Amino acid sequence: MKILDHLEEWIITFLMGSATVVIFLAVLHRHMAGYHIPVLQDWLLSLHFGWAQELCIYMFVWMCKFGAAYGVRTGIHVGVDVLVNRLPVEWRKKAVFVALIGGAIFTGIIGTLGTSFIWENGMHYAMFHLLGLDTGDLPQGPTTPDLEWPTWVVYSAVPMGSFLMCFRFLQVMWIFSRTGGLPHHDSAHVDGLSDDDLTFEAAVLKGGAK
Amino acid sequence: MSGQAPAAEWGPMTKQRAAIWLISISVALLAVGIIGGNVGIVFALLLALMLTGIPISIALGLTVLMFLYLLTHVPTEAVALKLFTGIEKWEIMAIPFFILAGNFLTHGGVAKRMIAFATSIVGHLHGGLALAGIVACAMFALVCGSSVATVVAIGSIILPAMVKQGYPKKFGAGVIITAGSLGILMLPSIPKVIYAISTNTSIGALFVAGLFPGMLLTLMLCTVTWYLARKRNYPRMPKANWGQRWTAFRKSVWGLMLVVIIVGGIYTGVFTATEAAAMAAVYAFFISVFVYKDLKLKDVPRVLLAGANLSAMLLYIITNAVLFSFLMAHENIPQAMADWIIGKDLGVVAFLLFVNLTLLLAGNVMEPSSIILIFAPILHPAAMRLGMDSVHLGILIDANMEVGLCHPPVGLNLYVASGISRLSITELTVAVLPWLATMVVFLVIVTYWPSLSIWLPRAMGMM
Repeated sequence: MKILDHLEEWIITFLMGSATVVIFLAVLHRHMAGYHIPVLQDWLLSLHFGWAQELCIYMFVWMCKFGAAYGVRTGIHVGVDVLVNRLPVEWRKKAVFVALIGGAIFTGIIGTLGTSFIWENGMHYAMFHLLGLDTGDLPQGPTTPDLEWPTWVVYSAVPMGSFLMCFRFLQVMWIFSRTGGLPHHDSAHVDGLSDDDLTFEAAVLKGGAK
Repeated sequence: MSGQAPAAEWGPMTKQRAAIWLISISVALLAVGIIGGNVGIVFALLLALMLTGIPISIALGLTVLMFLYLLTHVPTEAVALKLFTGIEKWEIMAIPFFILAGNFLTHGGVAKRMIAFATSIVGHLHGGLALAGIVACAMFALVCGSSVATVVAIGSIILPAMVKQGYPKKFGAGVIITAGSLGILMLPSIPKVIYAISTNTSIGALFVAGLFPGMLLTLMLCTVTWYLARKRNYPRMPKANWGQRWTAFRKSVWGLMLVVIIVGGIYTGVFTATEAAAMAAVYAFFISVFVYKDLKLKDVPRVLLAGANLSAMLLYIITNAVLFSFLMAHENIPQAMADWIIGKDLGVVAFLLFVNLTLLLAGNVMEPSSIILIFAPILHPAAMRLGMDSVHLGILIDANMEVGLCHPPVGLNLYVASGISRLSITELTVAVLPWLATMVVFLVIVTYWPSLSIWLPRAMGMM
């Protein structure tokens, strides 16, 4: 379980960071290639960053799906809780269960829909091909425009992320039924608040306002 | 799913009252569903799901699934396809980049230097530190696209300093809560990106259009603060000389340079909005870690993770909102709404009043991104037919969101400020009133003075 938690965090941290780097490099490349520096320019022109945009989009789609599952665990998905929080305690508990079950059902359905979608769009062919079975007239499935990856691989983030999210909802529900606690995202959390007086004094002094 | 704070503030209702509420709500929803036909059913379903406290993203998605499955013959494959392609838009990718840039700026010591600079300019006036807080929020808002990040970045430094100088805590919190909302009005802003995506408006024009309204709001907030501070005789700071001001400016210039990168880049066509956002993220990382050195390299993954968490939440809402707008388009709802509004023969003035009231009401229960994703596609066609400008409507919606951020029950700025100041939401609600009233006046100005927003992007030839 711990491993799954960490894996989730690593994946989305990595995707976030590397997507930024990829786009940064692509833009840098586009502008550097415009300058007439003899050897460098030839080398830069020989590189193609046309796929960067597409890669970045897919990275963020993956990040979105796995991050949404991580978000269930950290309680960042906000809902309208004005009514629910004012209900009597036992009723509130029931409402929270309804909400969590709703989440689990939705993600479950999406996961199932997603699986059948990618299965029909090339995964079926790929699996049979891999196993050496007769592929018959199964469609090979489309590929992405720039990277030319099979789309079913790219889109597998949807079922995987959705099922993971479904699992997280069930997990939160289990914890709630045992302890009555919900994950609560604290957007007000600020690091190092205690020494802020000092930093401010220092900043003002350095800034020369005193 | 979140926000236990209100429960603690107001306490649960008795069973009897709760039952009355629940019954009346369900009767009202049923009535809407029966009278309104398909449109009514869609919205009754959505409201019913939302009121159970289900995350908004999931409520949107479930509404679509239930409606399509029960009442139409649209194949579910269409839904599946939308799920994949819903967020595959290059423009949407600006959102995670802007969030990441904001996170780096918040943790990277940029705010501290901006506050020092602002203090050196306005510190010697009545309520100097409070004014400096507002000006610093405005400067931070120039480079950051989120109001929560602005409140955290500026508030967590200036609030303790104000309390130390003898300001009442409530005064400081009130100032920062409202000034922080500038974050989504000045230049880059995440709600503006979302609006641009859902209505196909130019992101660059929207960014620039927020500059003058933002400056006006800054001025208005400063005036109110100055007046209150003079009446109550709050402390002033020693006047800084020009040399000190120059030093403070030079130190904060690294952060302010981001304005040039974002706006200059988009304006000259060097970058697209998304690339500008990515550049801003890299630049913010660079100055935080290597120039100001306030962020350790080992803390970078934590900042990335926090950014990814928030972006994933927003992107998830967007995915489901795309599904929802697919349903609305399928049922012809935006068009029907536009017909209905035009048919009422309201005229622009009354229509704008209606828009403001609707958005302010929505601001009571939902956070900005969801409101924009649900309401912009509905309001936009009607506004266009009335001859309004798309950019003006965007800024108007943005200003409404600002007000929504500053009052309970879901005003995020309040919760953030409550976290920093350890004041309760009830106390802050009262504390924020003078500035909130100012913002409502500002909202009226923005609503009925379109040139304030659209003059600059017009003059720059961006629209």
